[in-house]
Amino acid sequence: MDFWQRISQLDRRWIYLAVALAVIFPLLVPMKMKLGITPEARQLYETIEALPDSSVVMLTFDYYPSTVAETRPMSIGALHQMFRKNLKVITMTTIPLGGPSIADRTMREMAELYHKIYGVDYVNLGYKANYTAVLLGMGSSIESIYPSDQYGTPLAKLPLMQTVKNYDQISFIFIVADNGIVDNWISIVNAQFSKPMGAGVTAVMAPKFYSYVQAKQMTGLLGGMKGAAEYEMLVNKPAMALIGMDSQSLAHLLIIGFVIAGNVAFFVTRKKKESKG
Amino acid sequence: MKTKLPIAIAFLSGLAMIAVFILNPEKVGDMEGELLQWTTVIGGFTLLLGVVSIVRVNWRPVVRRETGWLNNAALLLSVAVMAIPSVLPVSWSPLFGTDGGSIYDWFFINLSAPMMATMFAMLAFYVASAAFRAFRARNAEATLLLLTATIVMLWRVPVGEGIFVAIHPKLPNLINTYVMGGVNVAVQRGIIIGAALGAAATSLRIMLGIERTYMGKT
Repeated sequence: MDFWQRISQLDRRWIYLAVALAVIFPLLVPMKMKLGITPEARQLYETIEALPDSSVVMLTFDYYPSTVAETRPMSIGALHQMFRKNLKVITMTTIPLGGPSIADRTMREMAELYHKIYGVDYVNLGYKANYTAVLLGMGSSIESIYPSDQYGTPLAKLPLMQTVKNYDQISFIFIVADNGIVDNWISIVNAQFSKPMGAGVTAVMAPKFYSYVQAKQMTGLLGGMKGAAEYEMLVNKPAMALIGMDSQSLAHLLIIGFVIAGNVAFFVTRKKKESKG
Repeated sequence: MKTKLPIAIAFLSGLAMIAVFILNPEKVGDMEGELLQWTTVIGGFTLLLGVVSIVRVNWRPVVRRETGWLNNAALLLSVAVMAIPSVLPVSWSPLFGTDGGSIYDWFFINLSAPMMATMFAMLAFYVASAAFRAFRARNAEATLLLLTATIVMLWRVPVGEGIFVAIHPKLPNLINTYVMGGVNVAVQRGIIIGAALGAAATSLRIMLGIERTYMGKT
């Protein structure tokens, strides 16, 4: 058996080991590679930056715990910018499993950091079933969909919600999602209520939403961990996404290497078989 | 009656929402709000239905000691441990409910979330293995796909961006403009428009009673 035959029959456990090393090594020894910022991420940042202080914005936590490595840094980056600008933040989730817990923890953590008061500076609406009805219903009355917040407090008792009745009082919506809910935000809330919005989504979803950015239905887009890292740079709060980019760099290079090696091995061994037979 | 009543409800509900969308809300009153509240309430019941269903499906193998019954028992135990304390009122104990410090929260943060993240992270290993064994440039289309994937994968990470900048400083922007904002958008628009037309057609089929699978009938 020659070299290329050995390569083509490589035990998959070696591949798994190589991936594990490619992910772990940069976490132990950071490479701190330079990262460019895409126009889509910059547009999103600048749109929020241009909002007047004390404007009301909505930040969604539409993601499962499985994708927090990509999505949570986006939420944290957005909250750094929103709280620093003294924007009033309303959060909600359309994800029953994990969405409320992630939103609760992230909001508490960030509010503590910026000394924000619950009910005055931010409100967590929590989860309600049937997202289509939720998104549509909040257009006429948020209180009709969410009579109380995540913690059971009636919205009428929260100072922030006394001035916010529906989307009319919300200046911008920042969607962080790992699923198709972004389509509903666009088709329902942007199309029917003309609400400006931007999104942070996982890397595999990002290509789909470039069309919405081009059509100006979204003002900006963060794609995957790279998008999160770009936002961390924009808000000047380098954290987990930027650290993770080193691992992602090596993992991508490794996969490309595997594709090349697999193809070379395949064609070389096939040619040899043809010449023999 | 079993068929006609659901079709009539579906038709009238659909018609009402279309009417609200087209007409001025002042003319039709708060019909939309009422209907949407109904929808969220029904949505809540579907969650309950899901729990009942999962318990029923897994209860039987446990009682009959069928092969793998321990897995079913573990699932039932997990449902009980996560669900029961989460629906009990917080006023009884801070361990109930779903807030930070509750039983639900502890299990969610320490078991559920890491398990979900692990399942998702394992994809990296499978993708690497699949890339090695299955991504073959067998024909022109496959070669084009491989080349595009390689360019985008490199462009999305700092090391690849560095390579492209070394070739030409404007290359990363050109990839963003022409690959992601050009070819990709053209294809995505086709898919999005196709899916929207399909959704509209399906909605119409449900309203007219042609599509009946939601009633458990074909």
